[in-house]
Amino acid sequence: MESILQIQDVSKEYLTDGASVEALRHVSAQFSRGEFVALVGRSGCGKSTLLNLAGAMDFPTSGTVTLEGVKTSALNDSSLTKLRREKVGFIFQSFQLLPTLSVIENVELPLMLGGGRAPRQAAMERLAWVQMEDFAARMPYQLSGGQMQRVAIARALVNSPALLLADEPTGNLDTTTGDLILQLLRHIANERRTTVLMATHSLEAAGITDTIVRLRDGQVV
Amino acid sequence: MGRLNRIVLFDRLIARPLRLEPLRTLLTALAVALGVAVVLAIELAGNAAAGSFRSSVETLTGDADFEITATGGVPAQTVASLAALPYALRIRPRIEDYASVAGDGRTIPFIGVDMLADALPSSTTDTSSFQRDDSVWIGDGLGYKAGDRLSLAINDTQSEFVVRGVLGARTGEVAVVDLAPATRLLGRNGSLDRILVQVPSGRSLDEWETVLRNALPPGVTVARQGSRTNENRRMLAAFRWNLRVLSYIALIVGAFLIYNTLSVSVVRRRAEIGILRALGATRGQVMAAFLGEAACFGLIGGVIGLALGRGLAEGAVKLVAATVDSLYVSSSPAPISLGWGLVALTMLAGVGVAVLSALSPAWEASRVTPVEAMSRGRREHEVSLHRFRSLGMAAVLALGAGLAARQGPIGGRPVFGCIAAILLIGCCTLAIPALVAMLSSAAGLARLCGVEALLASRSLAGSLRRTSVLVGALATAIAMTAAVGIMVGSFRQTVILWMSDGLQADLYLRPAMATGADRHPTMSPEIIQRLQSLPEVADVDPFRAYEISYEGLSATLGAGDARIAGRYGRRPLLSGAPTSTATDQLLAGDNAIVSEPFANKHHVKKGDVLKLSLSGRQAQFKVVDVYFDYSSERGYIILDRSTLLKYLPDPAPSNMAVYLKPGIGVDEGKRIVENAVSGRKVLVFANRTLREDAIKIFDRTFAITYALEGVAVFVAIMGVAGALLALVIDRRREFGLLRFLGGATGQLRRIILFEAGMLGLLANLAGMVLGVLLSLLLIYVINKQSFGWTIQFHWPVAMLLGALTLVYVATVLAGLYPARVATRLNPIEVIHEE
Repeated sequence: MESILQIQDVSKEYLTDGASVEALRHVSAQFSRGEFVALVGRSGCGKSTLLNLAGAMDFPTSGTVTLEGVKTSALNDSSLTKLRREKVGFIFQSFQLLPTLSVIENVELPLMLGGGRAPRQAAMERLAWVQMEDFAARMPYQLSGGQMQRVAIARALVNSPALLLADEPTGNLDTTTGDLILQLLRHIANERRTTVLMATHSLEAAGITDTIVRLRDGQVV
Repeated sequence: MGRLNRIVLFDRLIARPLRLEPLRTLLTALAVALGVAVVLAIELAGNAAAGSFRSSVETLTGDADFEITATGGVPAQTVASLAALPYALRIRPRIEDYASVAGDGRTIPFIGVDMLADALPSSTTDTSSFQRDDSVWIGDGLGYKAGDRLSLAINDTQSEFVVRGVLGARTGEVAVVDLAPATRLLGRNGSLDRILVQVPSGRSLDEWETVLRNALPPGVTVARQGSRTNENRRMLAAFRWNLRVLSYIALIVGAFLIYNTLSVSVVRRRAEIGILRALGATRGQVMAAFLGEAACFGLIGGVIGLALGRGLAEGAVKLVAATVDSLYVSSSPAPISLGWGLVALTMLAGVGVAVLSALSPAWEASRVTPVEAMSRGRREHEVSLHRFRSLGMAAVLALGAGLAARQGPIGGRPVFGCIAAILLIGCCTLAIPALVAMLSSAAGLARLCGVEALLASRSLAGSLRRTSVLVGALATAIAMTAAVGIMVGSFRQTVILWMSDGLQADLYLRPAMATGADRHPTMSPEIIQRLQSLPEVADVDPFRAYEISYEGLSATLGAGDARIAGRYGRRPLLSGAPTSTATDQLLAGDNAIVSEPFANKHHVKKGDVLKLSLSGRQAQFKVVDVYFDYSSERGYIILDRSTLLKYLPDPAPSNMAVYLKPGIGVDEGKRIVENAVSGRKVLVFANRTLREDAIKIFDRTFAITYALEGVAVFVAIMGVAGALLALVIDRRREFGLLRFLGGATGQLRRIILFEAGMLGLLANLAGMVLGVLLSLLLIYVINKQSFGWTIQFHWPVAMLLGALTLVYVATVLAGLYPARVATRLNPIEVIHEE
């Protein structure tokens, strides 16, 4: 299987009130194209930190993160931004739709930030993937939680990223809606060959994935 | 809830957030501070400029009960008539004029008093020097000491004096001589300017007034002492009122910004308010908390404003005093005095304005219910829906403004004009949400400018309420600047056109000492003949001006040669009749033309009869027309010279217009005339120089107006900076998200700068429309009712374009710091805050 993301001996330290806190300790892992991975563990175990490092939002204190053959620590800010635009999509627990933009405008936003042409067509297509094309003109406050998360998924996919990072994507949803979202992510990994890295508390949610990575106190167990 | 608990809660929920965002807190407090400071500075400067009419000599010699005056002078024998009355009256005759100090050109009061009777305190008691023409006693402010030599220009003559003594402490800048030398030096021919009378007790002042009036010859008037000062204060009332209104603009803009800050605060803390309500906070407590926050801004702003205002007053008093001096009355500014009363009023204004502006947002905060602490999107959607209702209300206010603009003044003050202006500002504020909402519909256009423009426009339209308040604040400041700019520009152009019509002579002469609205130094009459005899001179028009009081208000009585005015002049008349019609009637006898400010102030029109007391004679003049005049707000009554000489036979002119024969160049003519008047302290101006000087005075007069507008705009721009900073803090998660979605830091910076630019653009648009409407109000209602001048509307295009560009650039620059803050946000931290 083609490896898309390699994490090698990664540690991450934060300074909190002058004291050093180790969020990740010597973590190594690699993930293949189209793999659906669950990162599970208690709050504060380092799930979100790992997602941020994988998504080129942060640098490790030591070790390397390689995304599609590009070592993130070797890049400057603008190159990292470009890498994120082209290779990574993010989904958040609290959806993070811009309240002032309509559904379609939210979805086409990453393309527009990247200066892409004809963003509307691609955005409508992604909305169709998540069965939200009929809601394109609505504003976020006119949607339910599940609908908002589906729009967020469409937005994360609009750049056809190789890696989709989902931080507790079902955390704000009821079980039924959460299941639908998980099915959608499963579908994306299978059909679009997108690697999905999902941080979750829920072992039930993790059950749908191909791989489960357990984290405890910043280490893979 | 105990008092201590209240304080602790206030500190935790209101004061702590203020401390956590010190820059924003400081910017908001500074907006109030500047508003308060401007109001205080204008009040202090106005008080100082209007508080110094009483001569320091009057203070020295003690109070009198009555003053006796007459236009053209009180006959000297009046003193004897009063002395002959069988009462123990204290009678003090006065000759009052002005002199210029050689070297530094300071114009100081030059007063003739009865040195023995007045017994002025000074460091000399040498009475033998009283009668000498070279003896002078001076105030301590002049900086000379006994024995020094002092050279003074009096009318068109330079005179040398020896300082015989320095008057007591705090006597200021004044020169005092004995009556006899004053009469000689000023060429008064036995007339006095004023007689001060102190009466014994035992009768009422009304009774004494009757006694004195019966003893006086016709044309000589008696009035309570201080009435002159009161007259001056009344005369200045309109000027000060207008200045005060202008100073309030900065405070109004500050109020807008407080409103904005509190509105933002309520929106940001909606969820927090919901939690507090769920935990048992009452509506009253929530409202009190937000009003308390506003009071904090007001308090901090008031304290800073006090210090700032006291400092600004130093500069403002010079500008105000210069205007008072050139337009109204001679006055040297009194020291600036900041009393406790004014301190209390200032603090009250700061806190009051802040609390009043916070009423609406605080009320809104108190209405939040725990279940209703909903998303910003829905809330703003509601505001968006209300914009049509706001447009309807705007239309009602516009109608009200139209009605108010048609009402007359109250007590000479354009109260309804100002109400119309406030209604127009309200109308504009209510219409702004609709204007901002147009941005949403122009999203296609914004897309063309890139994703940053789209996000910026959506953000502004999405925060409709906040954006509207901000645009409203900036638009109000811009509108007032534009309105005042258009008014002043129109006025300036009107004056230029008026001068090109009215100033037709080639050369003008006046005494070298400084003139003023109430100072008319004279030249020797033999200069007239000397100039008339020059072969290069075609005509000489001598003009004489007298300071008079008409219906309790100061005015100027003047006379020139109507034949010459008719021959050359193109003095535009309100009736539209040719100038010669009026000059012919002036030549026909006791007829007069009056200036437009005089006509408006005294409700005089063509055909009315003016009754004047002139040097002991009652005279009546029929008003044959009203002429446009912009040289003095006091107002002129103009007669033919022969008519004036019939009543006031002093032939000395105050100034002269000289018409050169064809073929004689102005420079050559000026040289010839200067030679002819050599030995006299007379200034000769070419026509062009006179006009340029007049425009310089004009520009100086309106300098304070521009300064006030500048402060208002500065306050608004500071508000924009503060609001953009708040916006960045408020939307930090959004900016973090954009970074997650692939947004570069440069794009974040551009979003903020686009928002700043759009705010500036919207404010400029709204401000210009409102500004033009306000300028019409200023020109045709407020100015007309306050000062009585007809101003032709002109577009000062260059000034407007310059000002608008400056404001726009400043607004965009105001976004730089917030943009920097936005780019430095840590996206991981802000996105995971909740």
